Amino acid sequence: MLKAHNIHKSYKMGPSELRVLRGVGLSAERGEFLVIMGSSGSGKSTLLHILGALDTPDQGSVEFGGRRLFDMPTSLREQFRNREVGFVFQFYHLLPELTVLENVLLPALVKHSFFSWFKNRSDTRRAAAKMLDRVGLLQRVKHRPAELSGGERQRVAIARALINSPSLLLADEPTGNLDASMGADILNLLTELNKDGQTVVMVTHDPVVAKRAHRVVSLHDGEIVEPEMVSSGLLPA
Amino acid sequence: MYKWFLAWRYLHTKLIAFFGVAAVSLCVAMVLVVLSVMGGFLDSVRTRSKGLFGDIVMANATLQGFPMYQEFTDYLLKELPDTVALSTPAINSYGVFRVPATTQTVPTRIMGICLDDYARVTEFGEGLHYERYYPGTTSLEKQQIPVAGHTASGKLELPKELEEANRQWRAAETNPKAIETFDELPYVTVAYPLTDGYSSERMFAEGLGEPGYRNKALPGAILGCDLVFYRNADGRFSRHLARGATVAVTLMPLSTTGNVGGEPPVKLLMRYSDDSHTGIFEVDSLQMYVDFQTLQHKLAMDPQERMDGTMTRARTNQLLIKLKEGVGLNEGKAAIQAAWMEFLVLNAGVLDAYDIRLLGSVRVSTWEDLQRDFIAAVEKEKVLVTSLFGLISMVAVVLVGCIFYMIVEKKTRDIGIVKALGGSARGVAALFVAYAGAVGIVGAILGVFLGCLFVWNVNDIQDLLAQLNPQLRIWSPDVYSFDKIPEVVKQADAVWVGVMAIVASMVGSLVPAILAARVWPVKALRYE
Repeated sequence: MLKAHNIHKSYKMGPSELRVLRGVGLSAERGEFLVIMGSSGSGKSTLLHILGALDTPDQGSVEFGGRRLFDMPTSLREQFRNREVGFVFQFYHLLPELTVLENVLLPALVKHSFFSWFKNRSDTRRAAAKMLDRVGLLQRVKHRPAELSGGERQRVAIARALINSPSLLLADEPTGNLDASMGADILNLLTELNKDGQTVVMVTHDPVVAKRAHRVVSLHDGEIVEPEMVSSGLLPA
Repeated sequence: MYKWFLAWRYLHTKLIAFFGVAAVSLCVAMVLVVLSVMGGFLDSVRTRSKGLFGDIVMANATLQGFPMYQEFTDYLLKELPDTVALSTPAINSYGVFRVPATTQTVPTRIMGICLDDYARVTEFGEGLHYERYYPGTTSLEKQQIPVAGHTASGKLELPKELEEANRQWRAAETNPKAIETFDELPYVTVAYPLTDGYSSERMFAEGLGEPGYRNKALPGAILGCDLVFYRNADGRFSRHLARGATVAVTLMPLSTTGNVGGEPPVKLLMRYSDDSHTGIFEVDSLQMYVDFQTLQHKLAMDPQERMDGTMTRARTNQLLIKLKEGVGLNEGKAAIQAAWMEFLVLNAGVLDAYDIRLLGSVRVSTWEDLQRDFIAAVEKEKVLVTSLFGLISMVAVVLVGCIFYMIVEKKTRDIGIVKALGGSARGVAALFVAYAGAVGIVGAILGVFLGCLFVWNVNDIQDLLAQLNPQLRIWSPDVYSFDKIPEVVKQADAVWVGVMAIVASMVGSLVPAILAARVWPVKALRYE
């Protein structure tokens, strides 16, 4: 379903160049729960952004459903982000002016034109309500993000990521900003979604979190390292 | 859809947007006020000019006038029955106006008119004060002083003709507020013989005995309201002369060649019959009106015997012509010009050298021709002032630009979120332009409302300020000709200014919108 080949990415840091990803390659199958693990600065978030076409690699390619993402025109990449991928971020990234329901509806508002929105409005609102029911926040639809706890905000972000029924859910440290109990709730939710068939690619530095995955790939200094190297203690987990 | 949705949501949740709305509102109100006042001023010039002159004016720009006016009037009505509705002569001269009961003297422009015809050719009748409340009682004929007195029942009343005329006005008046205002300001009477020291909206003499008419009959005179009376802070006139008071004017007759006859100046005693309010200050502060034939006689413009025993022809200064309904101004002017040339040719044999000189310089003009220079100057002033204020309003564009730059700076993370959710660069730019458009729409609506409110009440506001401090009266009638600031907002002006404000707001947001479109989502998501 998702294949990354030889991904390179570097950033200019003043006169020097910071090489974040050095020839990363990985794949994820439909229905898989894949965790990308690595310490801070290992390039895992950058890799996730490239997988979700939020960022572009300097070299290498990403294929999704057999199509090379970075050969697509910009408008199709935007459509890919809107319809095929759902993003969950560490800091939730909800719009503070919108209510819970409106935040969840936002990707659907991006998807629809002015006229098609009015045509599909009631179906979309029903879907949003169903999604909020699933994440246990149906009673908070009119609340603003500022009125919610961290765990609740992250659940809203998950509902938002799923409103357009994407094939792929990309989660960047979704529990990184939550206490253990709330983090466990979110992980349970992601696990449930995966059991229902949702493909999940998650980035984390926490080995406990990684245990929920079908498969774990580790990233160290911008390179995928063999699982044996991690388990042998040659590299930090 | 998200563009409209977020633009609307930002509009009523972001306080900073209200500064943009306020800036747009104030600029819209400012431009609309300037456009309405200047436009109203221009319209007033047009309307009042037409009201003063009628459609066509024939004049030879001399004080001694021109002869054959009555013959030409008859010729016109016979030859151009489908073009000319009515024609009336008028004499213009200058004199010194005096109120014998006081020491008041002012220079005046005296106009001899045939009242009924003049009121039909022009809109003169609409501005007569007493004629409004006592219709049919204003006259330039010889008249006595109407004196209020006590009836057998002991009630103070005006002579029965005046009381009856007032009853007719009440019966015909469709605006109950006008009657209410009239009753709130009942007439004031001063003891007969007339004394000075009082003033009122309407003032009559009061004598012992029954109501009636007293004193010697003298020709009536209509005075320009600003000629002798003063305006109160509320805009009303204080009339300190009772109706029928004696007024006088000293005149200087001229011969056909324009020479002063060598005789002493002529004095004409008259009774104040009414006062006229045309709304044009230079007319109302200078002009008085007397009967055409009386003035013609006093100025020796009626037939006079020459040394050789022959008679001169009667003369006038102007011939005012009203065209038939539906006849275009220039079309009417051309027809009258042609008729005038034919008339001169037909009568060439009966004219003497002086007549030919005076008739040769007669010009046929429309009211627009007479006011062309003034109207053109006002039009230019309107464009200039509106452009200047429009330029000042560009400040709003810059302000909207600054505000949106700040909003984009503050919303960088949100822009990143929208882009991460599939929003395009163009969509994000459109979001901010739509947001600015919404600011423009709300600002334009508020601005038009504010502007209308100000323009509709501009004279009341000025009167209020003048009551606080007379120096605050900014509209000077002697500078702007009209005694009131125009207070009409044209629908087209309001729409035009509103649309321009919306466009200007959107233009002001373009640079910030482009900057927002260029935001790199990954960087924006890390933005705190």
